[in-house]
Amino acid sequence: MDKPTTVDRRKFLGALGVTVGGTGLAGAGLVAGPQLVKAAAEPPKGKIPDTPYRTGHMTFFTSPAAVLGEPSHKGHIMAAEEINAEGGLLGKRKIETITADEAAGTDANVKELRRMKLEGKIDLFTGVISSGNSPALAPVAEELGVLTMFTDGCTDFVFDVADPNPKYVFRITNIQSADGITAAIGTAQTWPNVRKIAHIHPDYSYGRNASEHFTLAIERLLPGTEVVSENWPKLGTTDFTAHITKIMSSQPDLLYTSVWGGDYVAFYKQALRYGLFDKMKVATTLAMGVAPHAIGKDHPEGVLSGVHSNYYFTYPGGDRWPLNKAFVQRYYKRWNEYPNFQSEGAYVALYMLKTAIERANKLAGGWPEDEAIISQLEGLGMDTPSGYIYLRPDNHQGYKDAVTGFSKNLPDYPFATWDPNRVITIPIRNITAPGNWPKPGKGHNESTAAADWIKKTWPKAMG
Amino acid sequence: MSILIIQILNSLFYASVLFLIAAGLSLIFGVMRIVNMAHGTFYAVGAFVTAWLVGRALALGVPAGWTFLLIPVGAGVVALLGIVIEPLLRPFYRRAEEYQLLVTFGLLLILEDVIRVLWGGLPLSADPVMDVLPSIRIGGLIYPGYNLVVIAVGAAAAVGLWAVIYRTKFGVMLRATSQDRRMASALGLNVALIYVSAFAIGCFMAGLGGAIIVPSQAAVLGMGIDALVLAFVVVVIGGLGSLQGALIGALIVSFVRTAGIQFFPEIELAVLYLIAAVVLLVKPTGLFGTA
Amino acid sequence: MTVAAVSRLQYRPKLLLLAAAVVVLALLALLPPYIGLYQTQLLTYGLIAAIAALGFNLLLGYTGLLSFGHSAFFGIGAYSVALLLRDAGIHSMELYVLIGLPIAAVISALFGYICVRHTRIFFGILTLALSQVLWTLAYKFFWVTGGSDGLRVARPTLLAGMLTFTGGGSFQRFINAYYYYVLGVFAISVVIMWVIVHSPFGKALQAIRDNETRAAFLGLRIRRFRWVSFLISGTFTGLAGILWVPLNGLTTPEVLYWPFSGEIVFTTLLGGFRNFTGPIVGGVLFTYLKTYAVATTEYWQLLLGVVLVLLVMLLPTGIVGAISAVADKLRPQEKSS
Repeated sequence: MDKPTTVDRRKFLGALGVTVGGTGLAGAGLVAGPQLVKAAAEPPKGKIPDTPYRTGHMTFFTSPAAVLGEPSHKGHIMAAEEINAEGGLLGKRKIETITADEAAGTDANVKELRRMKLEGKIDLFTGVISSGNSPALAPVAEELGVLTMFTDGCTDFVFDVADPNPKYVFRITNIQSADGITAAIGTAQTWPNVRKIAHIHPDYSYGRNASEHFTLAIERLLPGTEVVSENWPKLGTTDFTAHITKIMSSQPDLLYTSVWGGDYVAFYKQALRYGLFDKMKVATTLAMGVAPHAIGKDHPEGVLSGVHSNYYFTYPGGDRWPLNKAFVQRYYKRWNEYPNFQSEGAYVALYMLKTAIERANKLAGGWPEDEAIISQLEGLGMDTPSGYIYLRPDNHQGYKDAVTGFSKNLPDYPFATWDPNRVITIPIRNITAPGNWPKPGKGHNESTAAADWIKKTWPKAMG
Repeated sequence: MSILIIQILNSLFYASVLFLIAAGLSLIFGVMRIVNMAHGTFYAVGAFVTAWLVGRALALGVPAGWTFLLIPVGAGVVALLGIVIEPLLRPFYRRAEEYQLLVTFGLLLILEDVIRVLWGGLPLSADPVMDVLPSIRIGGLIYPGYNLVVIAVGAAAAVGLWAVIYRTKFGVMLRATSQDRRMASALGLNVALIYVSAFAIGCFMAGLGGAIIVPSQAAVLGMGIDALVLAFVVVVIGGLGSLQGALIGALIVSFVRTAGIQFFPEIELAVLYLIAAVVLLVKPTGLFGTA
Repeated sequence: MTVAAVSRLQYRPKLLLLAAAVVVLALLALLPPYIGLYQTQLLTYGLIAAIAALGFNLLLGYTGLLSFGHSAFFGIGAYSVALLLRDAGIHSMELYVLIGLPIAAVISALFGYICVRHTRIFFGILTLALSQVLWTLAYKFFWVTGGSDGLRVARPTLLAGMLTFTGGGSFQRFINAYYYYVLGVFAISVVIMWVIVHSPFGKALQAIRDNETRAAFLGLRIRRFRWVSFLISGTFTGLAGILWVPLNGLTTPEVLYWPFSGEIVFTTLLGGFRNFTGPIVGGVLFTYLKTYAVATTEYWQLLLGVVLVLLVMLLPTGIVGAISAVADKLRPQEKSS
C-alpha cells in the first residue's frame, strides 16, 4: 500500500471546496412563492386514466424518533395537496396517501410494505427514516416491484450491499457517509487544535457509520487526533447521565455524536446540567435535523449542529433562493411550524416523481409504465428548496451539496437555530465516492464504498 | 476522584428509581401473591401524568418551584388507578398463577395504548422542575442538585416503607395477610381492604418512581416495558416479596450497570440478565426472598 | 357390552378425528388459487405460528409449565438459518432444518435443564431472564448477528435444490411453493405431536401436571420428564423459527425480545391450551387478528389487550375449549348398557 500523500491542512480544506458563508437571512418581502415545478404548460399527451394514484408513506409517528420523522409526512402531504390542487399527476390522477408508523419495528414494517403493495395496491412507497429499516425494505420493494422513493434511511448499506443494482428503489436524501465526513470537515475547519475526541453514538448501523467515516476523515484532516472514549447507548435511551459522566472523565477536547431525534434532546438537556458543554467542543451530525422547534433556546451555542448533511430551513435564506423562502412560508402557513430536512426531502420526492412522469408522458404519451418513470428519474436533476439535486443513475441515490452550521439563539425564532454567518457548505462530489466506485466485496472489504474511496484517494494533512 | 463520586451518585440516583418500582412490585407479590406484569406501565403512567400536570401548571403561570408538589400528586393518581383496577383482578387471585400473568399482561397492552391515546406519541418533558435546583460543585465538575433530591426521596421511601410495614399496626396486618390469608381473615381482618391498600401502595411507589424521574428524562412510550424487565431483575436478585431484597437488588443492578457503561460498554445489559439467571439458579428465591 | 363393541366404540372417535383432519388438510391445500398471494402468505405465517404454539403447548397444556421465554428458541431457529446462509453459504431449506433443529434442541436442553428445577412463577421469570440474555447478546454482538438491523435471508432452495426461485415472477412462485412446503411440515409436526401427546410419555406428563406428589409416588422422575418436555417444546418452536425466516426475508432481535414470548403465550391461550387443536387454531387466528388490528387502528395494542383480558375472564379454555364445551352440551347422552 503506498503511503498516502501529505498536504498542508489549509490547502486540503481549500481543495475540498469548503465554503463558510452566510445564510443571507435578511431579505425583502416575499414574492408570490414560486412553486417547484410550473404547472405543465401543455396538456398531457394521450389518454390518462383518472383513477387515484395511491402512495404509501411510512415514517415515525410515535417514539422519540417522531420529532425527526413525522415532518416527513407533513412535507409529503403538502406536496400531494399542491399537486392535487392542479388536478393531480398529469392533471388527472389525484394522489392518495395511506400511512404506517415506522415505530412498529423492522419486522412489522416489512409485513406492512407487503400489505400496502399486495392488498393496498399502492403505486408508490415513500418515507422511511431509520437506517435500520431501509436495508430491510429495499430488497422487499424490489421483489414486489413497487416504485420506492426513500426520504431517508440513508445508510450506504442499502445501495452498497442490500440492493446494489436498484431498479425500483430511489433515495432522495444524501448518503449517510457524507454525515461523518461533513462533521469532520466542520471540526477541522473550525477547531483545528482538537486532539482528544470522545464519541457517543446510538448503537446501530447509523451510529457505527457516522463514527467510522468521521474517524477516517479526521485522521486525514487533522494530524495526531486520538479517540479517548467511546459510548454506545441503545437507540431510544432516555438516561444518558452515566455516559455523560464517563465522557467528562476522559477529558476530551471534542465530543462527536450522531445521537439524534428525541434522544439528542434528552442528551443535551442532561449534559447541560453536568456542564459538559463548558468543558469541550461538540460536533454533531444530526442535532438540528429535528423539527426546528424541538431544540429549545436552552441549547448551547456554538455546537456544530448537523442536519444529516441535507437542509436547514434558514439556508439558503432571504431572496437569494426564492424556492426555499416560498417553501418555508407555505409550510409554516400549512402546519404552523418550520420544515426540517425530512419535510423537504419528502416534498421534493413527490415533485421529482411528478417531473419524471411528465417527461415520460411527453415522450411516449399515455400514463407511463413504472419502467418509463424509472428511466426518467435516473439522472434527473432539479431545483429544490435546498439547492440542486441530482439522482445518480448508477445507484439511484440523490446528491446535493452538503451543509452544516453552528447553533445560535436569534431573536426571530423561539428556538435555537443556525448562526447565519457561519454556514458551511461542501460540494458533495468531494465527500462521496464517485459513480461506479467498487462496492464492498468487489475488490475490497471496507464497510462502504466511501470508506474505501477515502482510504485510497485522500491525502493526509500535516500541521 | 470527583468522577468516582459522580458515578456513585449516578448509581444511587438510578437505584432510587429502581427501588421504588421494585419495592412496589415486591410488596404486591408479598401480600397478594400476584406478579403484576403491568407494574412497569404504572411507572410510565406516573411519569406521563406528572409531566402533563407540570406542563399545564407552567402554562398557567405557576412558578416552577411550586411544581414540585405535583410529583406526589402524579404518584397519587397512579395509586387511584390501582384502587380502580384491583377489584377487577379479584376473580383471579384464587385461579392459577398463569392466569394472573396473562391478565396483567393484557392490562399492560391496554395501558400502553391508553397512554398513547391520552398523551400522543411524542416524548413529554418536565425539565423546568429540574432547573429549579442549582447544580453543585464536586471537585472540578458540576452535578445537578435535583438528582440528590431523587436519592433522598428513594432513601426516604425505603425508610418510610420499612416503618409502615414493621412498625405500624397496619404493617402487622399486611404481614399477617401475606403469611396466611385465611388465618388473617378468620381473625377478623378485612382482607379485601388490605389487598386494595397493598395494591394502592405498590402502585403509588411505581408512580412515584415515574414522577421523580420525569424532570430528568422525558416520559416516552415504551418506558414501562423496559422498566418492567429491570424491575424483574431486581426482585429476582433481591427476592420477591422482600423489601430489603428490593433495596439491595436495586443497588446491585444500578452499580453493575454504571460500571458496565464506564468500563465494559458492550455487555452492560447482558451482565444484568446473567446475574439474574445465576441468582435464580443458586438461590431461586433471591438473596433475601421467602418462598 | 361385548369386547368387540367396546373396541369399535374406542376407534370411532379417532377415525372421525382423522377424517376431519384429512378434510381440513385438503381444504388448506386447495386454498391458494382462491385467496390470492397476500392471503396465501398470511396463511403461511399462520401455520408457522401454529407450529410454534403447538410446541409451546406441550409445555403449558400437557406439562403445566408456563414459559415466558419461548422467543429464545424461535429466535435461535431463525438466526441459525441466517448465519448458515451468511457464513456457510448454505441455501438448502432441508439443510436449514437438519442443522437448525439440533441447534434449537441443544439450547432447549440447556435452558430446560436450568429451568425445570423450579416451578410456577420462578420458572416463568427464569425463562424470561434467559431469553433476555440471548436478546442482549444478539443485540450487542452486532458483528456476528447484525445487531438491531438483523440479518437478511435470501430465498432458499426447496426439496434438496430442485426448486429454485430467481428471476421474474419468482416472488409469486416462491410464496406459492413455500406455502405447500410449510403445509407439509405442519402436517408432519401435527402428527408427531399427536403421537407424543398420546404416548405413555405424554400421559405421564399430564399426570405430573395434575398432581405432582402422586406422580412422584408412582415413581415418575418429575424433573426428567419435565426436562424432556421442555426439550421437545423448544425444538418445535425452533422449527417454527427456521420456517419463518425465509418467508420473512429477515431476522432481527425483536424476535428474541420478551413481548414476543408473550405473543406465543397469547396465541396458545386464544385457541385454548387444554386441548390439542387449540394452539393450531390460536396460531392461525392470532396471525390474522394482529395483522388486521395493526392495519385497522393505530391502537392495536389496546385491542389485543382487551381481547386477551376478555379471553382470560370469559373463555379461559380458549376458543376451541369453548366450542367443545358447547358441543358437549349439545351431544345427546351416550346410552350406557
